[in-house]
Amino acid sequence: MKLFALSVLYKSPDGKVNQLKAAHELSSFGYFQRGSIKEFMDFTSKIIVERTAQCSRASVKEQEYICHVSVRSDNLAGVVIADHEYPQRVAHTLINRVLDEFSSKISQQQWPVIKESEVNFTTLPDHLQKYQDPKQSDAMTRIQSDLDETKIILYNTMEQVLERGEKLDDLVEKSEGLSMQSKTFYKTAKKTNSCCVIL
Amino acid sequence: MTCRDRSNEFLSAVKLLQSRQGNGLVMPKQRRDLRARSEFNVIAKRIGRDLANTFAKLEKLTLLAKRKSLFDDKPVEIQELTYIIKQDINSLNKQIAQLQELSRSQRAQNGKHAQTHSNSVVVALQSKLASMSNDFKGVLEVRTENLKHQKERRDQFSQAGATSLPPSSMGPGGQTKSLLYEEENRQNGGSDFAINMDGLDKNQHQQQLQLVDQQDAYIQSRADTMQNIESTIVELGSIFTQLAHMVQEQEEMVGRIDANIEDTQMNIEAAHSEILKYFQSVTSNRWLMIKIFGVLIVFFIIFVVFMA
Repeated sequence: MKLFALSVLYKSPDGKVNQLKAAHELSSFGYFQRGSIKEFMDFTSKIIVERTAQCSRASVKEQEYICHVSVRSDNLAGVVIADHEYPQRVAHTLINRVLDEFSSKISQQQWPVIKESEVNFTTLPDHLQKYQDPKQSDAMTRIQSDLDETKIILYNTMEQVLERGEKLDDLVEKSEGLSMQSKTFYKTAKKTNSCCVIL
Repeated sequence: MTCRDRSNEFLSAVKLLQSRQGNGLVMPKQRRDLRARSEFNVIAKRIGRDLANTFAKLEKLTLLAKRKSLFDDKPVEIQELTYIIKQDINSLNKQIAQLQELSRSQRAQNGKHAQTHSNSVVVALQSKLASMSNDFKGVLEVRTENLKHQKERRDQFSQAGATSLPPSSMGPGGQTKSLLYEEENRQNGGSDFAINMDGLDKNQHQQQLQLVDQQDAYIQSRADTMQNIESTIVELGSIFTQLAHMVQEQEEMVGRIDANIEDTQMNIEAAHSEILKYFQSVTSNRWLMIKIFGVLIVFFIIFVVFMA
């Protein structure tokens, strides 16, 4: 489950799309291909945002990648390029979070005019890295996996408790036998004491 | 429980008796005791009367909540009534707690019988309050069921696109009775003596259902995950209770083993002492030794005589 790119774009009302910030994770590609792949990704994100309507989300399949895109009502858009296995919900959560952070850091008037080199938003690569493993970063998947582990542990515990029950059953029987035998022992001892007084 | 306060009659009877006997010294103490008892009785009477009133209101609420028609519902009245009843139950709680404090503080002055009497009065009032809160809770549950049915019927007859807000973390309100949501409300409104009033807030929120949000797959999937998580947690809870139950059952077996072993130990001790007694009797029994030697010598002589 990998994330390849995470980018924030601005879609102006007349249809043009500007890329405001992007982060890429291209270590799985060969060194010489990285440049072209990066450009291809940016281009794909732009086109997809152009084609996506306002206030909507989409997940587009593109060869072996899926692009999750979300365009907000204030024309800010986020694109996440991931592989097939990455859960859609986590990707959209990531987009939401990144867009919220972006809009809080950089004011809205700057979006149409600001250039990519001037944008001061450095946490994008960190987010990309963090969300590489959805199990750890997304709270809900983490809770889910923890709960499943706990359930397995509890099932094991139940089985052990059942075994304990069986052993306790065993012990009860043995202790009952022991008690019977000691009682017979006592009776015999008492008998020997009482019967041979005549001699 | 409405108790008639006949302490005035009692006081007058006492005065009559005392004037006949002329026993003036004991009077002040008795009067103080009587005053304390009558104070207790006055408060208990008041609480009983309030309980009866609240019962009547609860009856009315039950009637209102049971109505199932789609258009004749009076939500405002029902809400007001539930609010009033909740306040009443809370104040009754406090009053009963005060009464209990009073009876404890009067422990020094009263005799044993008076103490048990006040205790049983307090316990009776508490049990009445508890049963009333149970009924209240039942009525609220019935009301939420009805609301749910009404909403379903309304959806059936209204246009498409009327989807309910899933119980996501974004906002309150939802059609499914999410336990998480109930838990939240339980923390918000609880009382010490009565049972929890979780149904009340749920009512208010369900009535504010907002059908505005668009059908969004993302939110839907979040909601599904949340529901999954919630059901898992509930399952875990039940597994825990089962586990506790089983361990408790086995506890009893452990007790039996313990008893058996103790029995065994006792028996063995007793048998040990018996054998010791026997040993004592044998070793210090000179008569026995003489007898045995006598028998041996007799046999020896017979043997020798008949052989030779």
